[in-house]
Amino acid sequence: MGIFNRAIRNISRRKTRALLVIIALGFSLAILVSIPAGVLANQQAASRITTNLGSAITAQEQALNQTLNQVTCSLASGFGGFGFTGGSGTGTTHTGGYGGSGTGGSGGYGGFGGFGGFGGGSVSGQFGAGAFGGGQMNPMNETLYSDINTSISGVAAVEPILQVSEGKNQTVSFYGRSFTRLVPQYIIEGVPLTSDLVGNYPILPTDIVSGQNLQAGETGDVLLSENNSAYFGVGVGGTVNILGTNFNVVGVYQPSGIEDTEMLYMNLSAAQALTNNVGYITSIKVFTQSPSDVSSVSSAISALHSELQVSTNQAELTALESNQSTSTSAVTTAQNSLEATNSTAIEEIIVVVVATSLIVLFVMLYTVRERTKEIGTLKAIGFSNSSVMSQFMLEGVLLSAIAGVVGIAIGVFAAPSLTSFLQLTPTLSRAVGFRPPTGAVVATATVSVSPELILIGFGVALLLGTLGSLYPAWRASKIKPAEAMKYE
Amino acid sequence: MNKPVLQLEKLSKIYTLGKRTVPALSNLNLTVTAGEFVAIMGPSGSGKTTLLNVIGCIDKPTTGRILIDGVDVTDMPENELYKIRRDKMGFVFQTFNLLPYLNARENVELPMEGRIASKTERRKKASELLGMVGLSGREEHRPQKLSAGEQQRVAIARALANDPAIILADEPTGNLDSQNKQGIIKLLANLNMTQGTTIIMVTHDGEAAHHTERMLLLRDGKIMKEKQGTHAMKKNNVCPQCGSPIKPSDDICPSCKKPIYATEEQF
Repeated sequence: MGIFNRAIRNISRRKTRALLVIIALGFSLAILVSIPAGVLANQQAASRITTNLGSAITAQEQALNQTLNQVTCSLASGFGGFGFTGGSGTGTTHTGGYGGSGTGGSGGYGGFGGFGGFGGGSVSGQFGAGAFGGGQMNPMNETLYSDINTSISGVAAVEPILQVSEGKNQTVSFYGRSFTRLVPQYIIEGVPLTSDLVGNYPILPTDIVSGQNLQAGETGDVLLSENNSAYFGVGVGGTVNILGTNFNVVGVYQPSGIEDTEMLYMNLSAAQALTNNVGYITSIKVFTQSPSDVSSVSSAISALHSELQVSTNQAELTALESNQSTSTSAVTTAQNSLEATNSTAIEEIIVVVVATSLIVLFVMLYTVRERTKEIGTLKAIGFSNSSVMSQFMLEGVLLSAIAGVVGIAIGVFAAPSLTSFLQLTPTLSRAVGFRPPTGAVVATATVSVSPELILIGFGVALLLGTLGSLYPAWRASKIKPAEAMKYE
Repeated sequence: MNKPVLQLEKLSKIYTLGKRTVPALSNLNLTVTAGEFVAIMGPSGSGKTTLLNVIGCIDKPTTGRILIDGVDVTDMPENELYKIRRDKMGFVFQTFNLLPYLNARENVELPMEGRIASKTERRKKASELLGMVGLSGREEHRPQKLSAGEQQRVAIARALANDPAIILADEPTGNLDSQNKQGIIKLLANLNMTQGTTIIMVTHDGEAAHHTERMLLLRDGKIMKEKQGTHAMKKNNVCPQCGSPIKPSDDICPSCKKPIYATEEQF
């Protein structure tokens, strides 16, 4: 029957009290381990968000810097696309496609430009290609624009593009007339796979998830988006039939945004042949020698071909820059709130440490008082001061150790809710919830109690148990047996 | 003549209550030799308990000297004094003072903890002592499962744990009914007879005191009177009732047929 067994028996003697004390201490200790867990999670989240945001901005910047020297030219879109006036033109020249450059904004019904072609009847592939909202599908005679490459200084390369949507026809009524419009299922993007463009200019997607990218000179191959791959039910190495022609799937890419989710890439010449658009394109991308040439090149193009709508990526970069400052200030906010959280955490830890020690102190003082007579007896029958002191120290430490185990168990399961209850995480998640340039950059870190934290928590429990029991145990050891005997 | 186990020389104890001083013991001299069974009697406030506490080394005298087994403990510091209490003294209290969360055997083992390292040895000795006080088979019972008389027997066994020089019993029969009272007195008397244990018992029960060897009457902190108890005659193998010779094992006098120790009625 050693000191240890006696301590255990004394604790278990008053079960309800022991249970209440253990629960109270356990919760204190659970909070105690949850606070650093929350703080660690916050720090993780903060460093992740800084990294994520940084890389998001860098990626965007890189993307824009790559396109900074680009000028996109297409025929002005709008209602003119209806082409009713030009609709009577001959099919062979396709002039009807952009016959009416009249009213209407960009986008919108421009897709009806295809009607022009309908007049000629020989551009069935182009028919209705723009669909509603396509807006930029007006076919352009490729040869008409060959002068851009030759006569404008500062132009490095020209990429003629043919974009044709394919899908299911749907009949719609419009102004009392029936039209057939297209619900696109995939978009053929014909790009010139020439050796001077491929690899040198960003004409193809870069995020290849399987297989490989298109190579210069390929005509029988396609690069599918993930959506295309799912739609056709074919992957890398398979064959896909597009408008009656079989193509080898060389790769699948991940779309970078909503615009290219349905796009499949192939050689321009193949696309033109396939869609009966030989000699025709839908837009021209001009790469200038340097970004500083962009404005002079775009005005030169406009001067040369007034019918073209010329756009640059300069505006987007400006937008990015303003976004960047927003993001930076958001990160600063996050860090500030993290600092605030840390000081809150320190305050809370102090409160909990004091509370835990006080619980142990009062419980043990009460126990000592209650057992004064027992202490007197023990001393009368020959227990030394130090063995009485160790007896009570051990009881206090043991109680804290049990509470420590309980507290850590609570902490492991309840740390996330405890930290949110303690206002440790919400501030940070608010701070990280902003939207950087593309999509939301959100970094979450799970609040979890690590093994190190469990050990530290247990150590703290023992330490606080020791601290809290010190005075009561000392009091116990100083009890005078002669006086204690009178105590009932 | 046996050697003295307790020598009190000019012992005084003065309590200070505010400005008043209350003498509890004044200039008291007492020698108790080994194997004596002494009763200290006296009215309330006569200094009985103070004397017992001073003898038991749980209280210090104001002046005077106290020698236990020839060792002067008067000025001994607490870190040595506890060993005197543990090794030389055995306390028996009026309210038994057993630890409620320990069983009988564990209670008896308590004082041995600092002395006997072997757990099995402690266990063995505790069981032996419990057998000696008539509690064989009740070793595993907790105090609340034992009668008052049985609890006091456990306390006596605990007092005997370290083979003390003196057993100090403070009103050991005070909380017992007459039958148990008799049993405890008999037990103490038998221990004194058979083991030669020195017993100093404080009581205000005249009958109980009568069955000791030497009765001291305390009044105002002084020993006023001293007389022989019936136990002295029994020790000399003489019936205290009629004076005829008896054997140590006799409970009833072979001549007068009366019990050697008083019956319940006589108490």
